[in-house]
Amino acid sequence: MSDILDKLIDNAQIWQASRQRQALNPGIESTGFPALDAYLPGGGWPRGAMIECLVATPGIGELRLMLPALQRMTQAGQTVFWIDAPHIPYAPALARADVDIRHLVTIRTQTREDQLWTLENCLRSPVTGLAMIWLDSAKRSDIRRIQLAAEAGDSLCILFRHSRYADQQSPAALRLLLNPGEDSGQLCPDILKRRGGWPVSGLQLAIPAITTRPPEPASNVIRGPWPRTH
Amino acid sequence: MLWLYLHFPYLLLEHFQQSETASRPMALIGGHPPQVIQLNPEAARAGVTEGQSPQTASALADNLHLIAADLEEQTGVLDQQAIWLYRHAARIILYPPDGILAEAGSLRRLHGGLPGLWRKLQDELDQRRLTARLACGLTPRSARILARSRRGRCTEDAQALRQSLDDLPVAAADLDERTTERLQRMGLHTLGPVLALPDRELARRLGPETALHLQQIEGRAVDPQTDWHPPPYFHRRLDFAEDVEHNSGLLFPLQRALQELEAELCWRQQQTDTLQLEIRHRRRPVTPLQIRSTAPEHRADAFIELARLKLERHSLEAPATGLSLKTRRFLDRHTPQGDDLFGETLQHQEEARQHLLSRLQARLGEDALHHLALNADHRPERAWRATPVGDGCLPSTPVMPRRPLWLLRQPQPLREMPCQWLAGPERISAGWWDGERVQRDYYIARLHSGQTGWLFRDGTGGWFLHGWFG
Repeated sequence: MSDILDKLIDNAQIWQASRQRQALNPGIESTGFPALDAYLPGGGWPRGAMIECLVATPGIGELRLMLPALQRMTQAGQTVFWIDAPHIPYAPALARADVDIRHLVTIRTQTREDQLWTLENCLRSPVTGLAMIWLDSAKRSDIRRIQLAAEAGDSLCILFRHSRYADQQSPAALRLLLNPGEDSGQLCPDILKRRGGWPVSGLQLAIPAITTRPPEPASNVIRGPWPRTH
Repeated sequence: MLWLYLHFPYLLLEHFQQSETASRPMALIGGHPPQVIQLNPEAARAGVTEGQSPQTASALADNLHLIAADLEEQTGVLDQQAIWLYRHAARIILYPPDGILAEAGSLRRLHGGLPGLWRKLQDELDQRRLTARLACGLTPRSARILARSRRGRCTEDAQALRQSLDDLPVAAADLDERTTERLQRMGLHTLGPVLALPDRELARRLGPETALHLQQIEGRAVDPQTDWHPPPYFHRRLDFAEDVEHNSGLLFPLQRALQELEAELCWRQQQTDTLQLEIRHRRRPVTPLQIRSTAPEHRADAFIELARLKLERHSLEAPATGLSLKTRRFLDRHTPQGDDLFGETLQHQEEARQHLLSRLQARLGEDALHHLALNADHRPERAWRATPVGDGCLPSTPVMPRRPLWLLRQPQPLREMPCQWLAGPERISAGWWDGERVQRDYYIARLHSGQTGWLFRDGTGGWFLHGWFG
């Protein structure tokens, strides 16, 4: 190879696809799903960058995807913020999943301005491990502001948006479109955008199943649902 | 006993001046007919003197700022000066409206002699931008009259003090006007010859009260004093020379008040988590604001930041004429635990956490932030609680049945029949004891959209959705 190319490679000025799967660097937080880690640059959620998760409807396993990170961070004493979550994060279920709920803080804001201000402040603090924000905005300036805030800190910043924004351009470092799997123990994320890689679609992740096995219809148990009798 | 008297000739004016960022000629107007009663050096340089009419004064200095003042207010201001003086002297006696007496004898050793104490007080006065005339005296009354006539000296020598007392004009001896006039007619112009007269003659000619007064100056008659004690709360009142129309104008004066609070808290070895701020308006009720931090705090910087956030959210309804800062809640300081000398520790982390939560609360309101906690109840809506941040919640490790990660705020009617039943029924029947009875059969099912929901059927046979397995 020519001297010039060698020099560029030595100076680490060229990105090589073959070197993508490197050892975990400190700016990476493992997702807890090896199948997903394999496709993410560095092998996990990037810290200090905006991660965008696009979800059409709640209840397809989007929180179960975050559970390993939640467990690890709360057990390490880092605070996890839920900013304007669409529903109530249910404490009994979180406690059951070994999340230390003392380190969870839910925040409700009234205006968009407050919402972004809150996120910026959370991300700038060293105590924040993960900040999750649910935003229903198509404004590019808002998204850009979140990205800048995420880059200013060293924590995970996950933006949940509706999947109708999938076609919109986004400055996020990582964009995932979450699709429901064939059963409740499966999630099919499409990587719409990742650093140093092409989009990937059709991934299949085994997420913690809700029930270990389907209930067997026992002959002596009458199974619902029952029609309305009166 | 040695006494130290502080006479504040411009107390009320300087009180107004404290909320000013830059100095400018200012004068207080009071009395009937209105006249200049107190003025600052800038005004004096322009030729304004005490006793001038407001018209004359404004003609002399065109940028003179006149404040109509009520001398009654000065008493409250005097209290505030007593608070810091109390840190240096154990016994303090107020002489409203403009004087404070302190017992200095027992404190000489603590402050390295009388000159040390004197210097310390002068420094404190300079820091607070206050003018005071100090005087020592062997009796409370002698210290007072010496201070008021600007003849105070930093000495504890009985001979020297007696000498300055003897040279004092009779008019400055705090006697009533008629007595002063009579003494002057007798040819007694200084206090020395008056004090040399026999008591009996004095009592006969000038009345027993005058004789007693003179004996008290000399220390031959008892002069009981009522000691002042600091209040169990902190209260700082600020008055503005000019109405403040924007919130940002409140921050500078507030910072001064907070610095004083910090000094007070440091001295008490305590801290606080609640500040009451009252913004006064003209002919309108006061605006109360509460500044809270999630963890006890004593630093002025931390409070000013919270106050800034709070004030940004509340626009002033009317121009502010002054503000008060009150604190009643004092908490003992805890010694830092597990803190090594090299920074990053648990203590440090906890501090940063409280700092962040306080900031968020100050802007978003106290009920915007919550911690999650478990509650021992079988009813799903009651099996969790939102607890205010700052409260330490107890960890609990109960064995829990399968529950969804999302709970809907209100159960919603189910619109479609699920395509796959995963688990159920789980009967929850509870609450008959408090009138909010719940009897439901819960199922876990998958909908056609791929969502996994937590559904229930209640006693009436209706189907509802109560959560999502997110």
